[in-house]
Amino acid sequence: MAIQINKALIGKEYPPYAVTVERGKIKEFARAIGDGNPLYLDDRVGAASEWGDLIAPPTFAVTFRDETADTAAFLRELGTDISRILHGEQEFELFRPLQPGQTYLCRARVVDIYEKAGRSGPMAFVVRETAITDRTNEIVATMRHITIVRL
Amino acid sequence: MKYAKVYFDDVKVGDELPPLVKGPIQQIQLTRYAGASGDFNPIHQDDEFARAAGMGGIFAHGMLSMGFVGQAVTDWAGAGTVRKLGVRFAALVRLKDVVTCGGRVLAKSSKDAGNLVDLEVWAENQKAEKVVTGRATVALPGRS
Repeated sequence: MAIQINKALIGKEYPPYAVTVERGKIKEFARAIGDGNPLYLDDRVGAASEWGDLIAPPTFAVTFRDETADTAAFLRELGTDISRILHGEQEFELFRPLQPGQTYLCRARVVDIYEKAGRSGPMAFVVRETAITDRTNEIVATMRHITIVRL
Repeated sequence: MKYAKVYFDDVKVGDELPPLVKGPIQQIQLTRYAGASGDFNPIHQDDEFARAAGMGGIFAHGMLSMGFVGQAVTDWAGAGTVRKLGVRFAALVRLKDVVTCGGRVLAKSSKDAGNLVDLEVWAENQKAEKVVTGRATVALPGRS
């Protein structure tokens, strides 16, 4: 039976959360992808680079999440559960690389929710955007995430 | 040579990135990516769960394939050069799939933001089906 998606979430802004990037987390992420780039893995190469330290791979910001928030709660609020969701699209805009030891502030909001007929039936597209700023409130990156809900 | 420096002046529209071949995808890599990314959706770990969800079994995190595409871009352009990377997940990547990533230069421009190169990027499986399609923008150094 088809489910109803809660479109009242459009425009909802979530409480900002801070993330401090750990050096080991960057390395673990690069290794999980199988990317051996020394700028992600070798502290000495990072220190000698133009950035003065390791940098994170371009998709690293996907690891940023509000540790105090309950992901299941977001899906419940949306009217669905984890077994129905797929990742539709993802985009990162990076003004400079993310780096270890830095604390970033993330502000996420639901930009849009729309429905479309897919190959395997009706689907809802939930578009979320997260702005990532540094301690001086300068924008470092943005990410846009489209979740597909199989209705 | 891996990680050779690419200069803006030497890049031409239509140039192709060296293909990056990843896989065959193994369960252990999905488990490792779950830990590294914090995405513990059981649909990537638990075959019974994935079948019950109507997905016909386990499949890889889309973000893992996007990570592969990111690597194809930075292996060529250099780490830290990516200004934009946006993709659509076009098909599921299954266990044992071999994923080959590629890219092609679409446009070049010099602005205040630097020397920017726009790329078409993709990843395909061993049946030459596109699993990821997208765009990237990298900022490259000039020779002068």
